[in-house]
Amino acid sequence: MNNRSYSARQLKEQIKNKSLSPQELSSSIISLCNSVQEKYNAFISIDPDIISKEIEALFDDKLKVGDNAPLFGFSYSLGDNIATSGYVTTCASKMLSTYKPPLDAHVFLKLKENGAIIIGKTNMEEFGIGCSGESSYFKGVKNPWNTKHTAGNGAAAAVLTGVVNFSLASDVRGELRQAASYCGVFALKPTYGRISRRGLLDSASSLENIGLMAGNTMDLAAALTAVAGHDPHDVTSLRSEAPDYISLLEGNSKELQAAVPENWQDAPYLEDELKDIFQGQLKKLEELGIKIHFVQLPHFQHSSLTATIISAVEAFSNLANYDGVRFGYRAEGRHLQEMYTLTRSEGFSSKLKKFLTFGALVSSAKYYNDYFLKAQKLRSVITKELEDCLQRYDLLLTPTTPFRAPGPGILPGREELPDPAGYYTAAANLAGLPALTYPLHTKGLPYGLQFTGKKEDELTLLKAALLLENENTLAFPNFDFNNQGV
Amino acid sequence: MPEFETVIGLEVHVELLTNTKLFCGCSTAFGADPNTQVCPLCLGLPGGTLPKLNEKAVEYTIKAAMALNCRIADEITFDRKNYYYADLPKGFQISQFFQPTGRDGYVEIHLDGRSKKIGIHQVHLEEDTGKLLHMGDIISSPYSRVDFNRAGVPLIEIVTEPDIRSPEEARLFLQKLRSILRYIAISDCKMEEGSMRCDANISIRPAGSKELRTKTELKNMNSFRAVFRGIEYEVERQRSVVMEGKEVIPQTRHWDEAKGITKAMRSKLVSANYRCFPDPNLPPYKLPAEWLEEIRKSIPELPDSRYSRFTGEYGLPPYDAEILTASREIADYYEAVLTGYNEPKSVSNWIMSELLRLLNSTNTGINDCKIKPEDLGKLLQMIDKGTISGKIAKGVFEEMFATGKKPEDIIKEKGLTQISDEDTIAKIVDSVLAGNPGSVEDYRKGKNKALGFLVGQVMKETKGKANPQLVNKLLKEKLDR
Repeated sequence: MNNRSYSARQLKEQIKNKSLSPQELSSSIISLCNSVQEKYNAFISIDPDIISKEIEALFDDKLKVGDNAPLFGFSYSLGDNIATSGYVTTCASKMLSTYKPPLDAHVFLKLKENGAIIIGKTNMEEFGIGCSGESSYFKGVKNPWNTKHTAGNGAAAAVLTGVVNFSLASDVRGELRQAASYCGVFALKPTYGRISRRGLLDSASSLENIGLMAGNTMDLAAALTAVAGHDPHDVTSLRSEAPDYISLLEGNSKELQAAVPENWQDAPYLEDELKDIFQGQLKKLEELGIKIHFVQLPHFQHSSLTATIISAVEAFSNLANYDGVRFGYRAEGRHLQEMYTLTRSEGFSSKLKKFLTFGALVSSAKYYNDYFLKAQKLRSVITKELEDCLQRYDLLLTPTTPFRAPGPGILPGREELPDPAGYYTAAANLAGLPALTYPLHTKGLPYGLQFTGKKEDELTLLKAALLLENENTLAFPNFDFNNQGV
Repeated sequence: MPEFETVIGLEVHVELLTNTKLFCGCSTAFGADPNTQVCPLCLGLPGGTLPKLNEKAVEYTIKAAMALNCRIADEITFDRKNYYYADLPKGFQISQFFQPTGRDGYVEIHLDGRSKKIGIHQVHLEEDTGKLLHMGDIISSPYSRVDFNRAGVPLIEIVTEPDIRSPEEARLFLQKLRSILRYIAISDCKMEEGSMRCDANISIRPAGSKELRTKTELKNMNSFRAVFRGIEYEVERQRSVVMEGKEVIPQTRHWDEAKGITKAMRSKLVSANYRCFPDPNLPPYKLPAEWLEEIRKSIPELPDSRYSRFTGEYGLPPYDAEILTASREIADYYEAVLTGYNEPKSVSNWIMSELLRLLNSTNTGINDCKIKPEDLGKLLQMIDKGTISGKIAKGVFEEMFATGKKPEDIIKEKGLTQISDEDTIAKIVDSVLAGNPGSVEDYRKGKNKALGFLVGQVMKETKGKANPQLVNKLLKEKLDR
């Protein structure tokens, strides 16, 4: 039995009719986790005791999980910058390598209520900034399609290998969607504020969201329904109630109008093969009844640079509490200043330090107006442009990344600011709009197709993804973990 | 010797009387053990909670800005001021930089019989930092300990224009400010406990010159007296630096109360680089017009208006009005007495000389005063009616202050009612005259002093209860006969 047949719905049946014991299920999941970890380094923490306890609770009626809980039997993982008081929460940084947060994240609590089982905390770039697989203190995540290439993050690798049904990870300038594209899975970054950020150890609060990844649209919608909604403890959280996306997906969809930036091919490092694939997809979408309109978005091309400047300044400020005084890594110094300097020099990776230094520079008195202020203005312009466009069309259609998962020594524009991987993804963060990436399984590494939608209109994105999913057979690889399966 | 003009601007921080901190539910009570009123948020722990604005603190800031005659913003922002210091848990302080709550206000002070407006540049809300505890003084201490109880306590900062010209004006301004803020009950403004803190930016320039010269910032003045003395010293110091032909160095200086001098703490040459930007976790906050109107209505009559009313309506001298209106409670008390006894000057005299003296000597606040305003009114009426003498009344007043008893009860208990019956007094006068023939003789020889002695004897016989006017009258009648 291969790993993709491990589905939550089957599992629910097996638990209900007791054809499976909690011990069998636990050991099967733990051994799958260990294999995935060994091969791809997808996790930072896996705790077999926690997994076993959660699974026992599923089988034990007294523990009140209840098999009518919407996510009963679903397994998931959290990026390691989402707080869990039971697991260390490291942000993939030496700075927090032994840190246990004081509280659980809002999403963790919601998922527990909904009956989902947490499998572990996934690996990522340090503090979730970027997707190049270079800065994790716990080393990079290998792409299950080809281990020489990066997976972007552990959340995508965990979903791809089927060790979890869905995973949650953060998205600052598109990291979640980029990793999903590199691994060929579904990902949704909802509208800013749709999912509470309480318990997210964020680097750039105005851009960053918690998003979701899954192996199919329905799992994505199920997970979104569980975690979306107003949280009075996050004042940036949306006031409106979130709908039940699953039931709404069942309805018929109207004909969708999709906009495509006419200069979409201007992205630096755009792969030639992707040009053909994307054009092929446009044709396919027209056949499925999605009307394509080419539009002008003159400032879209500056979104990655704009988001880089803003996220660097916010990260510089957000990460200022990592001073060695009250928690986390502390270096010894002869006086306060030296302790600060050594703590941050030793506790952060050189890539992160470069990024924070850039943030300090562009917000310094000398450059504030020319860079930081300009970026804030550009953010308004880009937001306005996208909102105007989405007034007329249901969604914006682009590739997710200009290239497939980078391999050894072939990281496009690695020394560059802005990060070229964020060319198509950063705009949704700037404007706070929902964006979904749909996997395109091709020969070799996969690509992604990105839908960006109106504020609070995740449903249209999910409908478009479902439409494509029903028409295509996705070719997930068959991983051989030598595992007995369930 | 050239003449110099002193230019002073003040930055006053005032802790608000909210029960909880600005962005979390921690208590703001003063005097708790170190680090017992903290949570993950105000300690800046990763993965804690998100900030949630305390609306009471916003309301208090608006109230203060209104009382200081400021323009109120219709939308305010909370911005991060980024810097590293051990008392700052998050590595940034949340303050109002881009859209403060109030701007362009003023405070009026009274000086040598004239009044002067000190401009208020802005009033904004921010969070306090933690507190560094030192061994001895800050400069010689080998290490610092940090208490984060104060971190996140709501503060308002009031920044004046550089309109203040002397240490005395600075002191008067601060006292007026404290009085106003206590009127609206948003802070207890205790300089000794640090709930009101003042930094002064001080420079001097040749008299008649208009531009601002290099300033120093003076900190650590923990009383009104310290503000006066610190500024006085610093002005003198700058004057002697300039007279020696040297330049004033821009620096932060520390007032040493014990030695009575200011000491250099750090240079201000490198201009601060706070990288201010709107806090992304706190969206701009709208101040709806209806809410502002509601707050405006809740502001009581303020000291200036009360002062004009007391001098006008009650005809009080400026000195009395100034003292009575400096505290809202005293002014309220004064007016409450008037409702039962409408003799403004007489009531003022009793409050200023008797009541305030006792309150001060027993270290009692007016709110804890046992004498009810209506009882004080009754006491004064009794003097007018001749029920008791003014002298006896003072004793009764002290008894009322100590026990809270009503004046009529005290008078009854102790039999203090004035003897105003002519026959009764005449009998006593006769017996005194009979018993003191020498004094009678002296009086008749023209020694007027003897009359005083005889009056004293009558009062002694009656234990002070005889109506002094009657005693005088009867004695004279009998002696002059």
